[in-house]
Amino acid sequence: MVEFRTLRWFFSKYKARYIYGILCLLAVDVLQLVMPWLLGLITNGLKQGTMTYASLGKYAIIIVAIAVVIMILRYIWRLLIIGGSRLLEKELRDRFFAHLTMLSPRYYNMHKTGDLMAHASNDINAVRMFIGQGIAMATDSFFMIIASLIVVFMAIDWHLSLLALIPFPIMAASALIIGRFIRDRFEDVQRAFSNLTDMVEENFSGIRVIKAFVQEKAELKKFAKANKHNMDMNMRMVKLWGIMDPLMQFLSALSFIIVLYYGGMMVVNDQINVGDFVAFNGYLGMLIWPVISLGWVVNMAQRGVASMKRINVIMHEQPEISDENPLDIEEIQGNIEYRNLTFSYEPNLPPVLKNISFKVKQGETLAIVGRTGSGKTTIINVLLRLYRVEDNHVFIDDTDINRIPLKVLRESIGYVPQDNFLFSTTIAENIAFGLDSYTMEQIEQAARIAQLYDDVMSFPEKFNTIVGERGVSLSGGQKQRVAIARAIVKDPKILILDDSLSAVDTGTEERILKGLREVRHNRTTIIIAHRISAVKDADQIIALSDGQIVQRGTHEQLVNQPGLYKDLYEMQKLEEELERTQ
Amino acid sequence: MPDYVDEEISRKPYDPKIMRRLLNYMKPYWAPIMLCIALLFLMTVGNIVTPYLMKLAIDNYIYNISAESIRGIARISVIYLAITVATAIMNYIQTYVLQYTGQRIIYGMREEIFSHIENMPLGFFDKNPVGRLVTRVTNDTDTINEMYTSVIVNLFRDVFMLVGIALAMLWLNYKLALVAIAFLPIVVLLTVFYRKQATEAYRLVRVRLARINAFLSEHIMGMRLIQIFHREERKQQEFEDIDEKYFEANMKQIKVFAIFRPAMDVVYSLTLAAVLWVGGGGVLRGVLEFGVLYAFVNYIMQFFQPIYEMAEKYDILQAAMAAAERIFILLDQKSSIEDPADPVLLDHVKGEVEFKNVWFAYNDEDWVLKDVSFHVEPGQTVALVGHTGAGKTSIINLLSRFYDIQKGQILIDGINIQNIRQADLRRHIGVVLQDVFLFTGDIKSNIRLNEENISDEKIKEVAHYVNADKFIESLPAKYDEPVMERGATLSAGQRQLLAFARALAFDPEILVLDEATANIDTETEALIQDALEKLSRGRTTIIVAHRLSTIQHADKIIVMHKGRIREEGTHQELLAKRGIYYALYQLQYKNMEIDA
Repeated sequence: MVEFRTLRWFFSKYKARYIYGILCLLAVDVLQLVMPWLLGLITNGLKQGTMTYASLGKYAIIIVAIAVVIMILRYIWRLLIIGGSRLLEKELRDRFFAHLTMLSPRYYNMHKTGDLMAHASNDINAVRMFIGQGIAMATDSFFMIIASLIVVFMAIDWHLSLLALIPFPIMAASALIIGRFIRDRFEDVQRAFSNLTDMVEENFSGIRVIKAFVQEKAELKKFAKANKHNMDMNMRMVKLWGIMDPLMQFLSALSFIIVLYYGGMMVVNDQINVGDFVAFNGYLGMLIWPVISLGWVVNMAQRGVASMKRINVIMHEQPEISDENPLDIEEIQGNIEYRNLTFSYEPNLPPVLKNISFKVKQGETLAIVGRTGSGKTTIINVLLRLYRVEDNHVFIDDTDINRIPLKVLRESIGYVPQDNFLFSTTIAENIAFGLDSYTMEQIEQAARIAQLYDDVMSFPEKFNTIVGERGVSLSGGQKQRVAIARAIVKDPKILILDDSLSAVDTGTEERILKGLREVRHNRTTIIIAHRISAVKDADQIIALSDGQIVQRGTHEQLVNQPGLYKDLYEMQKLEEELERTQ
Repeated sequence: MPDYVDEEISRKPYDPKIMRRLLNYMKPYWAPIMLCIALLFLMTVGNIVTPYLMKLAIDNYIYNISAESIRGIARISVIYLAITVATAIMNYIQTYVLQYTGQRIIYGMREEIFSHIENMPLGFFDKNPVGRLVTRVTNDTDTINEMYTSVIVNLFRDVFMLVGIALAMLWLNYKLALVAIAFLPIVVLLTVFYRKQATEAYRLVRVRLARINAFLSEHIMGMRLIQIFHREERKQQEFEDIDEKYFEANMKQIKVFAIFRPAMDVVYSLTLAAVLWVGGGGVLRGVLEFGVLYAFVNYIMQFFQPIYEMAEKYDILQAAMAAAERIFILLDQKSSIEDPADPVLLDHVKGEVEFKNVWFAYNDEDWVLKDVSFHVEPGQTVALVGHTGAGKTSIINLLSRFYDIQKGQILIDGINIQNIRQADLRRHIGVVLQDVFLFTGDIKSNIRLNEENISDEKIKEVAHYVNADKFIESLPAKYDEPVMERGATLSAGQRQLLAFARALAFDPEILVLDEATANIDTETEALIQDALEKLSRGRTTIIVAHRLSTIQHADKIIVMHKGRIREEGTHQELLAKRGIYYALYQLQYKNMEIDA
């Protein structure tokens, strides 16, 4: 239960809610206990002939009045306690997401989206169940059992009580024990089911191989086996789960039979009166539920604890990158410098960047070329502070990058990533992603520079077109241009194009680059590209190979010396020729 | 990414045609289902008899004590016990038989859907996302199972209960019974009203939960971008908003439920008070036995339950109808590639391949291959080269008849492949695809697939032949090394070698191969080239080639461009021509030669 210490904020915030809720719950219990007593009184009244029409009517009114009060109180406690658990769920999930936004790319490389999703739904649900239903049931059961026991032992007859209650501990124990076995078998069922799902998923994904090697029949056999296993596991659970209901019915009926026989004898022997007999039956009926739910509460608590533990692990994960000791900087100019940077993603892995040094002045353009895996994107990752670098290697405006507030740094950089990730919202919203507020003019202007405007206007919904599954699926080139517009609409001090022109043709590329040059002259730009046309006008070009800078200079300088850049240049010229011949 | 948005086609809550088809699946199991219904009937009788037994005990022996009392109470207790035990046993048997029946039906249904999908042509898989197809086989059937087990059969229990208690009360005392039954319309109205509210509230909860899940999965995947654009706080705000909406939907649902159940209890208390008042008066006047009143108190407690239960089943029914509709739409789709009615048997193949004026498009008139003709002699090696999208891979797909062509003919040993059974055809063609697909299992099972008659020795032999044995032997468990997550731990080169071994194990007369483009280290590259050369020896081989050495060893090179064959000949002939091949060679392969 120590796991729940992390929820202290919640309970101190909503203390009153829970106290009032539990008070209402207890009031309901007390009123419920009055009912059998009333039935006993009526019985005795009828039996002894002391009852009149008038008093009968009075009893009827009391019964209805109690029911109405119970209804109101129940409504209140459900709203307070069950509603409270929903409140917990919401606030816990908010905190969970807030925490996720602080975790670094490194964390996301190591944790699958599906797992994090499972924590956000299943685990938070299990905690919510325990904090809501669990607490209510535990309180209710505890109080009802104690109170009923006191009443039957004190007010009616303890011999009868002792005998009649024999089945109850068995009930609680079997609910607890069988419940646990059922859970185990249920987990087997889930495993079998996910095994079946995986098998089917794999089969459909590999259908090409299966058909090519004529394995359909054999795969059907394999499927039949998984299918059968799933069925067997289900039946194995049913065997146990099917016992629960009849067993509980039997045990509670057994209790009634004991009262019927033993209590009946006592009435005959004049040890108790008929009213007590009737009331006793009423109390027994009232005890059944609390006793069974006692077993459930224990199981629910265990699940809640396990889930809370898993959530705590994530919540205790320290964000790798945050502002430590930031300088009071509100704006950056865009002078970038790397000084002898050697960088590896994990301490025990070989370095991805080796002794990288370069300088880009404000307003200049730097181009980086190199093969896949040569370290180009890593240079950018470091500049964006997605990974931690040691102090004194990367500087902006002569300030160590680690001391620039993250907010200032990232808001000053316009970044166009390789993967063109867009959110499933409108094109306008996607372009305005980095802005707090925007006007349509801004959006349109950015779209024009990114050579996206005409494409967007050809969609029926124009800038309100939804991107992705639920809307228009954009081509790779269109996505890239949305991503470009998204970066330039911020009017950033530093613009980074990370291989972001690969899916647009050379003509469009040229217009985009020209547009970019025109808008702002003092913007620092970094372009990573495979095509010479995209990089040839840069003030400085560096060629990377295996994490090292192997060449640097301008287009004119590099094209005249043997090396990576020249190879690239010649290849491209050939390609253009080929394009023309066809 | 899992499909969080549910795609419900059905707008009709109930479709008799679908229902009839669903009931058809129950037909073979009519005997166990009848047994369940019979047991349910007996159980209901037991449930109705026990309050009556209490009435007998109270009226005859407890309320009015006589000399018979002690023996009478004992007798009734024994009968009560016997009924209780019998009901419990029947309950268990009924549950078991019903669940078993449901599982059998679903087992069969799953098999039907799976084998139907399995036999669909590749074009079908191009159009239907795998996730959706998987849902048909697994989750949709589960929903239907719930309908079979908890709706159809259990409906009988509810009806039995409702009618049985009404009859019992009427029989005991019709005036008092009418008092109780008078409250029934209130319960029905309340329940119907509640269902409407609850269904709406529940729908809202589901929609908003789906939105949370979609938001979460999208934003976890795009977290990098959020951080780069410093949108953490903004996105946090957005998330809190939709979380708040979900919370509101939940609160609405809680409220609906928190009113309904207590309200039902009030109706119960009202009925109880009315029965007590009317019945108590009867007892006072001596026209009603006290035990009858007692039995009524018990009956009323159970009387309203079936109505509530029946309403609950309506939701399950609706979900099942939607699931069934999706499944039936799928089952009604016919495979577009059928085996010939009168197939030509194909025992042995020499390996002569011919494309005759083949036109092919994946969709409509979007031609991927235009008037393609070529001829391969048995045992020859042909290399297909050209840009992406030139149609090279399509040629490979068509030879195995994964798709049907629109015009022209494809012949193997002079026989049109459309006259051969697909299985027969494919047995003679070994395929190595560019992305080598590995199955969960081990190295051995990935080479032999499901063919048990390929022995372990044979596996080692072929692995050795294609140079795969070296890396396999270096794995901790060698040939038994488990393959996890589609072979993510193996390099592209190793996977290619495994695919070679797989193809060789089946010893086909014709080999088609889509060479991997991925970066492969030089050492593995040499192994692959050597293996490829050995594989193609004495076997008709068609390769989509990306490597110069592969091309140079080919007997013939076919240059594809935009769906047409542009050049054909040997390496030297084509170079001399100074055409497309020459340019391609300069562009793509020259550097490799220098590197090597």
